[in-house]
Amino acid sequence: MSNLAPNTAGPTGIEEAAPIVRMIGIEKHFNNVAVLKGVNLDIRPGEVHVLLGENGAGKSTLMKILTGIHEPTGGEIMLDGVSQSLVTPREASEAGISIIYQELSVINELSALENLFVGRLPVKRRLGVPVVDWKLMEDEARSIIGRLGLGNLDLHKPVGEMPIAHRQIIEIAKSLMKNVRVLVMDEPTSSLTSVETERLFALVRQLKAEGTAILFISHKLDEVREIGDTFSVLKDGVSTGHGHISEYTNDDLVRMMVGRVVKQRFLAEEPIDRTAVPVLKVENVTSADRKRVRDVSFEVHHGEVLGFAGLVGSGRTDLMNCLFGAEPRAAGKIVLNGKDITPKNPVDAVKSGMAYLTENRRQTGFTPNFTIEGNIAVTKSVKDAPFRGTWGLVDRKAERVIAEEQRKQLSIRCAGIDQSILELSGGNQQKVLVGKWMSIAPSVIIFDEPTRGIDVGAKSQIHEIIRTLAAAGKAVIMVSSELPEILAVCDRVAVFRNGRIMDILDGATATEESILSVAMRDGK
Amino acid sequence: MSQRLKLGKLWDIYGTLCILLVIVVLFSALSPTYFTRPENIVQIFLQSSITIMIALGEFFPILIAGIDLSVGSVLALTGMITAQLMVAGFDPTLAVLIGGVGGGLALGAVNGLLVNFTGLHPFIITLGTNAIFRGVTMIISGASPVFGFSYDFVNTVTGFVGFVPVPVIFALSFAAVLWFFTAKTRLGRNIYAVGGNKESAFYSGIDVKLHTLIVFMISGLCAGLAGVLSIARLGAAEPAAGTGFETYAIAAVIIGGTSFFGGKGRIPSVVIGGLIIGTINNGLNILRVPTFYQLVVMGGLIISAVALDRLIARMR
Repeated sequence: MSNLAPNTAGPTGIEEAAPIVRMIGIEKHFNNVAVLKGVNLDIRPGEVHVLLGENGAGKSTLMKILTGIHEPTGGEIMLDGVSQSLVTPREASEAGISIIYQELSVINELSALENLFVGRLPVKRRLGVPVVDWKLMEDEARSIIGRLGLGNLDLHKPVGEMPIAHRQIIEIAKSLMKNVRVLVMDEPTSSLTSVETERLFALVRQLKAEGTAILFISHKLDEVREIGDTFSVLKDGVSTGHGHISEYTNDDLVRMMVGRVVKQRFLAEEPIDRTAVPVLKVENVTSADRKRVRDVSFEVHHGEVLGFAGLVGSGRTDLMNCLFGAEPRAAGKIVLNGKDITPKNPVDAVKSGMAYLTENRRQTGFTPNFTIEGNIAVTKSVKDAPFRGTWGLVDRKAERVIAEEQRKQLSIRCAGIDQSILELSGGNQQKVLVGKWMSIAPSVIIFDEPTRGIDVGAKSQIHEIIRTLAAAGKAVIMVSSELPEILAVCDRVAVFRNGRIMDILDGATATEESILSVAMRDGK
Repeated sequence: MSQRLKLGKLWDIYGTLCILLVIVVLFSALSPTYFTRPENIVQIFLQSSITIMIALGEFFPILIAGIDLSVGSVLALTGMITAQLMVAGFDPTLAVLIGGVGGGLALGAVNGLLVNFTGLHPFIITLGTNAIFRGVTMIISGASPVFGFSYDFVNTVTGFVGFVPVPVIFALSFAAVLWFFTAKTRLGRNIYAVGGNKESAFYSGIDVKLHTLIVFMISGLCAGLAGVLSIARLGAAEPAAGTGFETYAIAAVIIGGTSFFGGKGRIPSVVIGGLIIGTINNGLNILRVPTFYQLVVMGGLIISAVALDRLIARMR
């Protein structure tokens, strides 16, 4: 093993601490399919190590091996310099490895206090009867939550009623109570606002200063750069790079992840004629409760992508639902190329050529019991005339052609179009859903958070698709909470707040700051 | 594709058939002289035909992660209406069209519309309509059986084509139609989409309410046709007919591998599920197991069959 002894001097020449965890040449096969083909990873105390890679690169599998959920097919794991052929969940936990999944594992019905002590409620005796020692719990919880900067949190409220950021902090507090040495955070910022993200980062820095090793998984390069010290890149189950983040540019990192340079900005190449009749005209859309969406009007011109920015909960998704007829309206008119198409319901909307990629692919996006083919073909039966559409026969041959076409065009990574959509990675699932809408050649397309939780490669591909659609004269609307994405793709940015458009900015001159200042401006 | 995956896929298609074979082998061993006789095989099919009919209907609400608890009462009410129409002098064909087909569709539509308009779970709606339909049956019949309808009707429905009883032909051909419907038509496939995820179906532009309505109308239609078969077999319309049949229908559907969470299931397996119920009943009768014990055995077998299915599904 001496030839594998840790190289204690980093590239900067600064002495680095010995790694708590070393993973050397880790391999993992599932049913003879190699998912990991020799991956190396060092995690050192007091360091934020970023794990980068596209969806399906093997990051989750690697994490499951680290936490003992999966058994590696080959390779070696060293905990504190001691080689272990196998890590069990228990050993991982005893070594102080703790993971916070993207889907938080707090129990929504229980209070923060109960969540923190679930499975190990402290007990005291009252008249010989063991009862829960709430006082002790509260004291312990207060001190730890206080350390995380949430001193005045109501510990007795069910966590389901708290914002996601708070639930995440409770989850972190839970790990801290177990004397954590390695904290793995799987895309922790994906559902946080920028203010909440800042607070989380402050916390990460504090943990780092206390000597905790942090393994941070994220797709957002800017954020990675802000918080990370060192990084490793996985591509198709192989380590393609590692080092100190400050010594590499974003382009370098992307190249390691994707194997090519990815375009960052996709604005319209032709000048947009805003004096011509707009492709899409939306007038006075108001939601039935007259609160979530209030009197919204806008236009989308030929060749243009209109972005919707705003804080989470500002009513952007409600507006999209109203446009698509998925939510009742009190008022509103939608005109496509001079023709009133205001849909009563999604059936109407699809028939008149609208498409809506919803923000939550699991909940409102895909059909889990269908294959890739089935998921793509489902919209076609709606778009076709009622007789052939609803009451007609399934034309498998034609559908296979369509599905195959979308698979190629969107380069959906799969074993074939007969594969279940559940077996795909998030990015590829999203591409299937894009394909489902592309297959009916819509005239109006609403993308709500089209790249949430998907990797850089798939992301830029989806951005390119969005751009192509706009260039082809479709009305394209994109909602996103990621400002860099809005700036990369949108020609104009409608900033939403409290159910209305506060301002529409020009995409070429808008900045994150200018959008945020409008989004947070006080409106009535 | 790995060995395990293949096994899982095969089990999806042939699992129910395997369970049926095991049961057949079991009864053949216990009653070698009588159980395997050709007449008895025909008898099993005949006895299963009504269970198969209502199970075919029940399949659809379960496919959209719902349920229809009212099938037994629909069977009784539609049978009663058909019988009363015939006794009142209607042509039997017309009576069947109005009472069985029309009545079944209408009662199913009542369930579907109530589910759509209240937004309540079908369990609650059909638990209620089950009582309502039974009550209406009692009211229109004065709680006494109606009989004395034409021999023509009874003879046609309980007759044979060759050695195959008419109800068996009827149930199997109806199953074939529904199989085609689920596997080949867009409406059928969209019902699977609704069953898999109602919200994504809604956002894909599938009319979820329309599909829900159709699903319950199919369930009503099947129960209505079963009602017609049932009065012909008994020669009378009993107000208490079909009590508890929903249990058998649900059991047949679930034994047939249909997922209770919606979106997964096949018509042929439901038919075999119905046959399993019929075979168990028949076998226990032949072995002279007292009725009360039969219920206990039936319940046990239902649980074992589904538990076995889960076990094998988990091996994947």
